[in-house]
Amino acid sequence: MNRALDFVRDRSGFEMILIGLSAVYLFLFAGAPFVFNVLMSFQKVDLFNIASIDRPFVGFANYQKILANPDFWLIVRNTVVFVALSSVCQLAGGFALALFFMQDFAGASWLRGLFLAAWITPGYAIGQVWKWMLAGDTGIANYFLRSLHIIDGPVYWLSDPSLALLTITFVNVWLGIPFYLLLISVGLSAIPRDLYEAAELDGANAVQRFCGITLPLMRDTLLALVALGAILTLQQFDLIAALTAGGPVNSSNVAQFWSWQLSFQSYQIGLGSAVSVLMLLVVVVIASIYVAATRSERAA
Amino acid sequence: MMRRTIPTLIAVALLGFYLFPIYWMYATSFKTLTEAVQYPPTLWPSEPQFHHAEVFQKFSVARYFVNSIVITLGVTAITVVVGTGTAYALALRRNLFVDLILFTILLLQALPASLMVTPLFVLFNMAGLLNTPRFAVVLAVAAKSLPFFIVICRTAFLQIPRELRDAALVDGNSNVGVFFNIALPLARNSIVVTAVLIAIQTMGEYVYSRSFIAKIELQPLTLGLSNFIGAQQTDWIGIMTFASILVTPILIVFIFLQRRIISGLTAGALK
Repeated sequence: MNRALDFVRDRSGFEMILIGLSAVYLFLFAGAPFVFNVLMSFQKVDLFNIASIDRPFVGFANYQKILANPDFWLIVRNTVVFVALSSVCQLAGGFALALFFMQDFAGASWLRGLFLAAWITPGYAIGQVWKWMLAGDTGIANYFLRSLHIIDGPVYWLSDPSLALLTITFVNVWLGIPFYLLLISVGLSAIPRDLYEAAELDGANAVQRFCGITLPLMRDTLLALVALGAILTLQQFDLIAALTAGGPVNSSNVAQFWSWQLSFQSYQIGLGSAVSVLMLLVVVVIASIYVAATRSERAA
Repeated sequence: MMRRTIPTLIAVALLGFYLFPIYWMYATSFKTLTEAVQYPPTLWPSEPQFHHAEVFQKFSVARYFVNSIVITLGVTAITVVVGTGTAYALALRRNLFVDLILFTILLLQALPASLMVTPLFVLFNMAGLLNTPRFAVVLAVAAKSLPFFIVICRTAFLQIPRELRDAALVDGNSNVGVFFNIALPLARNSIVVTAVLIAIQTMGEYVYSRSFIAKIELQPLTLGLSNFIGAQQTDWIGIMTFASILVTPILIVFIFLQRRIISGLTAGALK
């Protein structure tokens, strides 16, 4: 009650207007669509009634249809693999690079920053570049791997159903690593140097220092980063559209792409919004973990 | 001396290896068709060709470019005008109310465009906004970039000392005056850099444009690239040339603002 009073007392009208601007905008174009999406997932929505407000309610029929889809569990599994594998590999790769760039050498921070050049390029365009590099017969990736005798013949990275998902995961890891590299570097540089010096005097070796100092002190940062990385991977659409479009036969399809396909390619908008609602719930849970982790990091 | 140069060399090698796809895009765009598909591939184009001007003219790249710029300017303008004040107001104090808003903003930032596009499409269709599809894209993308902008700019406003504000208030400035005369000029650089970052991201936007803009005349560059691929399936030289036309301006802006973009990003993500 006190807090509520404080809030009224110490807040000027001007501040409320400034906050209100964004609040109204975000309500109109994010909050309301979010709620509207839930409503649509219980309706029959197709091209014929798309323009009318009055649409027949169908209960859980959309959800039942989604669950009964023969590819449902395949896509769930793909989404879990895509997000989990991406997060783990991005974290590991970003951490290794960050540790390397923590050494004091000429140009370290400038070179580290240049990694971001890949992250900043449009996903759809860089996805096309990867598609060209991964092409079975003329792609440079197969040429390198064959020269190194890792593979004997051409590998069809994107059209082989057993490889397509792992390939898009690999490209997504490639794209996400700079982000992890930078944020882990920020966390690492916040650890006081003298901790390491003291541990070194006590005879701790590099592995012991890493496990005894770096990991425990980075715990909250890493948790926040895993959640943030998962959020970014769940937003990945452009790469998938460029590389495989979910194919061949859904072998590399993930939920966020499937939802779009249902709505915009087969025009089963009710089904698309049902998938969307299920996924948004997952996103909200992960985002809450992220917010909680950044909170505890500040408190620490 | 050696101790300091060897890690630098390793770092350059790592970076070169990592950014190889970007190099390969440019290398391919300068090759002849026979050279591009020959096996083994050549790492450097033997007789560099410029396809860029030809692709630019033949496939109406200028028109796509204009559409991309229209959308980008719209998104950036809405985001900056709506978001700057909010970022400032949320930096002034810390209480339960502010925490709650920040939490909501972070949640909204996490919502994937490919999932929000379904309800937005139906709502925009009902509101008649799909008749002006570029405007519809601007509205949707701005809702996505606004939370991101607020989070990053708020950290910039947080760095302004309280005393400065208090002194200005004592001198007779109003709350409005403090915002425009003290806070805005001090945070100007961060606002500009964050706006540039949002502009860069919008130049590469794909989901909303693909879903809302059916008319080719109104589509942005990313869709131009996908139309080009649809028409010239295996013309990898053309595709890489088109991609490089889209990527190059973004890379140039990034190289100039690299340090500032990075400090903005790192400040926003973990605070």
